[in-house]
Amino acid sequence: MIRTAIKGLMANRVRMTLTGLSIVLGVAFVAGSFVFTDTINARFENLFTEVYAGVDATVRPDEASSNLGDAYLEADLLSEVRQVEAVEVAAGSVSGFAQMIDSTGTPIGGQGPPTLGFSWVVEPALNSLTISEDNGRAPTSVGEVVIDVATAESQGLAVGDEVDIQTVGGVDTFTIVGLASFGSEDNLAGATLSAFELEQAQVLFDLEGRLSAIDVLAVDGVETDALVAEISTVLPGTAEVVTGEQQTQEQLDQVTEGLGFLSTALLAFAGIAVFVGAFVIQNTFRITVAQRVRELALLRAIGATGSQVTVLVLIEAAIVAVVASAVGVLAGIGVAELIKMAMNAAGLGIPDGPLTIEPRTIIISMAVGISVTLFAALLPARRASSIPPVAAMSEMGVRTTPKSLRTRAIVGSALTALGALAMTIGLMLENGASLPLVAAGAVGLFMGMSTLAPLAAGPIARLLSAPMRDITGKLARENTIRQPRRTASTASALMIGVALVAFTSIFAASIKASVTDTLEGSFPADLAFASTNFSVGVSPVAVDEIAAREEFSVVSAVNFGYFEIEGDELVVIGVDPSTVSRVYDMKPSIEISELGDDLLVQEDVLVGNSWSVGDVITVDYPGSVSDTVEIVGTFTDATFANYVIAEEVFLENISDDQILMVFARLGSGVSLEEGQAAADAALSEFPNVDVNTQSDQIAEAEAQVDQLVALFTGLLSLALVIALLGIANTLALSIVERTREIGLLRAVGMTRRQVRQMVRREAMIIAVFGALLGILIGSAIGLGVVTSLADDGLGSFALPAGQLVIWLIVAAVAGLIASVGPARKAARLDVLKAISYE
Amino acid sequence: MTLTAERVRTQVAARMEGGVKIYGSGGTEVRALNGVDIGFEQGRFTAIMGPSGSGKSTLLHTLAGLDSIDSGSVYIGDVELGSLNDRKLTVLRREKLGFIFQAFNLIPTLSAEENITLPLSIAGTKPDSEWFGTVVDMLGLEDRLHHRPTELSGGQQQRVAAARALVSRPEIIFADEPSGNLDSKSGTELLAFMRRTVRELGQTIVMVTHDPLAASYADRVVFLADGKVVDQMDDPTQASVIDRTKILGG
Repeated sequence: MIRTAIKGLMANRVRMTLTGLSIVLGVAFVAGSFVFTDTINARFENLFTEVYAGVDATVRPDEASSNLGDAYLEADLLSEVRQVEAVEVAAGSVSGFAQMIDSTGTPIGGQGPPTLGFSWVVEPALNSLTISEDNGRAPTSVGEVVIDVATAESQGLAVGDEVDIQTVGGVDTFTIVGLASFGSEDNLAGATLSAFELEQAQVLFDLEGRLSAIDVLAVDGVETDALVAEISTVLPGTAEVVTGEQQTQEQLDQVTEGLGFLSTALLAFAGIAVFVGAFVIQNTFRITVAQRVRELALLRAIGATGSQVTVLVLIEAAIVAVVASAVGVLAGIGVAELIKMAMNAAGLGIPDGPLTIEPRTIIISMAVGISVTLFAALLPARRASSIPPVAAMSEMGVRTTPKSLRTRAIVGSALTALGALAMTIGLMLENGASLPLVAAGAVGLFMGMSTLAPLAAGPIARLLSAPMRDITGKLARENTIRQPRRTASTASALMIGVALVAFTSIFAASIKASVTDTLEGSFPADLAFASTNFSVGVSPVAVDEIAAREEFSVVSAVNFGYFEIEGDELVVIGVDPSTVSRVYDMKPSIEISELGDDLLVQEDVLVGNSWSVGDVITVDYPGSVSDTVEIVGTFTDATFANYVIAEEVFLENISDDQILMVFARLGSGVSLEEGQAAADAALSEFPNVDVNTQSDQIAEAEAQVDQLVALFTGLLSLALVIALLGIANTLALSIVERTREIGLLRAVGMTRRQVRQMVRREAMIIAVFGALLGILIGSAIGLGVVTSLADDGLGSFALPAGQLVIWLIVAAVAGLIASVGPARKAARLDVLKAISYE
Repeated sequence: MTLTAERVRTQVAARMEGGVKIYGSGGTEVRALNGVDIGFEQGRFTAIMGPSGSGKSTLLHTLAGLDSIDSGSVYIGDVELGSLNDRKLTVLRREKLGFIFQAFNLIPTLSAEENITLPLSIAGTKPDSEWFGTVVDMLGLEDRLHHRPTELSGGQQQRVAAARALVSRPEIIFADEPSGNLDSKSGTELLAFMRRTVRELGQTIVMVTHDPLAASYADRVVFLADGKVVDQMDDPTQASVIDRTKILGG
């Protein structure tokens, strides 16, 4: 049997290569995702272990106080820690926000990886930064800074140069005295590093007399557990001590969590690719079984049982699966290397070193490739067993009995309905846990639609071919209709990719529309100010500068922070009750000016908690300060938060430097340009604060969405490529089947060009059919998801018709590309051989 | 009238001069055509006979421009086929030649009517409806026009093929064992029809067959053996063809 299977495969190398390729691509991405994830973990673990090798324990503010922006230790604690017997060396350090600014005034970095500022630790054993011999020295006095090698290189900075750095207090100019590496790396996962002499750092980070952490080296022979236990006896309630290992692990988790999002996304797209590949595989095996009816019937006639024929087909599938999966794993290593290179190119420095290939990666990738292939080949293999021996003798062995359309309609509708139901439930459940249900629903939806698709193949093919009035159009149409299952299944593979792309477009368009609606509906301000750096807000000093300009009639800030209600940490904003309504319309139930010391709660949240206006509840501010407040009213706009308190209360109880955004209105007679100029002048000391008009804000939000769409579409294009392989494969196989027909057409006068046109048109009909189905499903899913997220601020459903039409055209063109090979092959058939082909 | 008929009769619709066709090379070399000189006059029905391997199918294929010869020349009317590229050859087949093969003559996805007008559709022209009516009428296909090939009997399928060959008014029709797959009744009906198109419409037909009965419907029989024309006979009957075949050892 195995020998027969191998011979069967060798006779069909081209189609098996194409089929194999669809497996290779899917498996490569599965393997690539794993290799990449493992590599990041291993590389960073390596790096952190190396860097923190000397630190046995670290004293730091405990978690509760760390959630506040200004957590710190009192500097006196250092001498107490040094008193501990088990402590050999202890060094205090501060860290904070430090944004370098280039010579044109543009902030360097900060749009992702953090911009870290440190004090330089003088004890070498406890310093995670090192300066190599040719790279200068440590900072020893005011006005000196050490920056990371990678930033220096990318900005063309060298020892002796000056650089502007913004900290909490403002911008100062520093002289670069050294370039530091992080262990053996030039930087840390893309972060920018600035290190200052301790006292200066304390001033810059507004931590005079305070420390952010104390690193400890144990006396020789003392176990870290004992060290930690001893130190903890001298600590106040707001501080904690952790082992070096724990600290390393936490740092590692932080870095890999950030990059892990990418791994998850990659794995999801790999899953999609494998799913699409399954369609291609199933279709190929179905066609090859149909084409080999006589050969398989002959096996039956000479005594093979039906199940032996099934096994034969499955063995063929298994051989293809094993070979293709193995190639896929190898290709996956390449994929991982490519991702790593791309990330390094994007500045997200991944430490150098070999890729990590775990046995788990190989096992899972192979298992996925092989099981998906076998599963996809199962149905065609089962069908092969039902071929009667007499088919060996019949002239037209290709015909298979069409299944009842009714059964198909029922099964397809049921699957579609179940899928839609699973998705709906998944979307209605609370965020997070429902994702697998949504995915399963999508799979059901796709399988149901592909079951139903053959019913639509005829009508849609007729519709699509309506403009193709000549004979090649007619033949192309009839060719797609004569095997509706084949056409539908080929189109289904494309359907999946297009559906996801269409969904992405719709989702993105809806986000954009919602953002625009919200901004236009809720923000009557003329200008908005926000920090370009993710880790720091707008400085209160900057707010004063803006407020001092007479061009603005109203300047109002939105403070952003957390408090707790019944143990839940919640986002709360602090606003100025007297001015906020003129810049931000949160649609409150009372005049905000009457807020006083009380609380406003978002309407839905109020209902969800079974509160009512007038209730008095207890809130816990950071630092374990409790207070009782009255809910005096509600509001509907949840753009920032569900809880609103007065700015005064916020500054007193939560934080005084957590300004998320500042809004301003122009005074009468002041033009937008004048306003912008005034804002720029006011902010000259605050390069990290951006000023935006409303249309700027909309454009900015749209640009961010577009970036994500581009990334997703790029990854989804893999699924499209696999679907195109499927189209090429189906066409190539169909042409083999129709050799005599094409020979006859050529004999009675069809030119090669016409034959090519016929094949091309068939491909386009199939492709556009698949794209139409995809857009249909994608729109349905889009509508469902957007509707379900209406409460989360996604208020407007938008159908980007233009983009969807473009996708249809892209599908048609892609079909055309897929048909190039098969069309050429068809046109080159030798007429005489074709008409005598059997 | 007689003169005109005589002149038409003597015009040659297709001819081969010194035709040689070799398959394989060296020890396995087979000369399928080994110096064939033959012409086919307009308005006549010629049968080509010969034993298996005599080269009769090769002769038909090379005359029809489906295959090329290795030396010599083939003319359809005044056009020498060797000088034509694939495109010109294809157009020539479409415009000047008609084909009836032994089997698989029809495109399964097209109706009988669409199959009949296929060469015209390919050329992008409309059929002459009067002529189309005449052909369909003569073949008795009026009530079968909207059927698909699978819904037609073998005889009906071959008649549709014959109608397709006729509908573009080709200069010459090549038929390769057209009755080979048919029962005897359908076969004789088809052959009788082919003869009528020659007699009544002045059509030229060249038919390859190994069946003496089929050959007896022709005006003339050409005998081939080992790639050469070895004999020919005018106004054959089934008996005379069988006799001649015996003598030739076919």
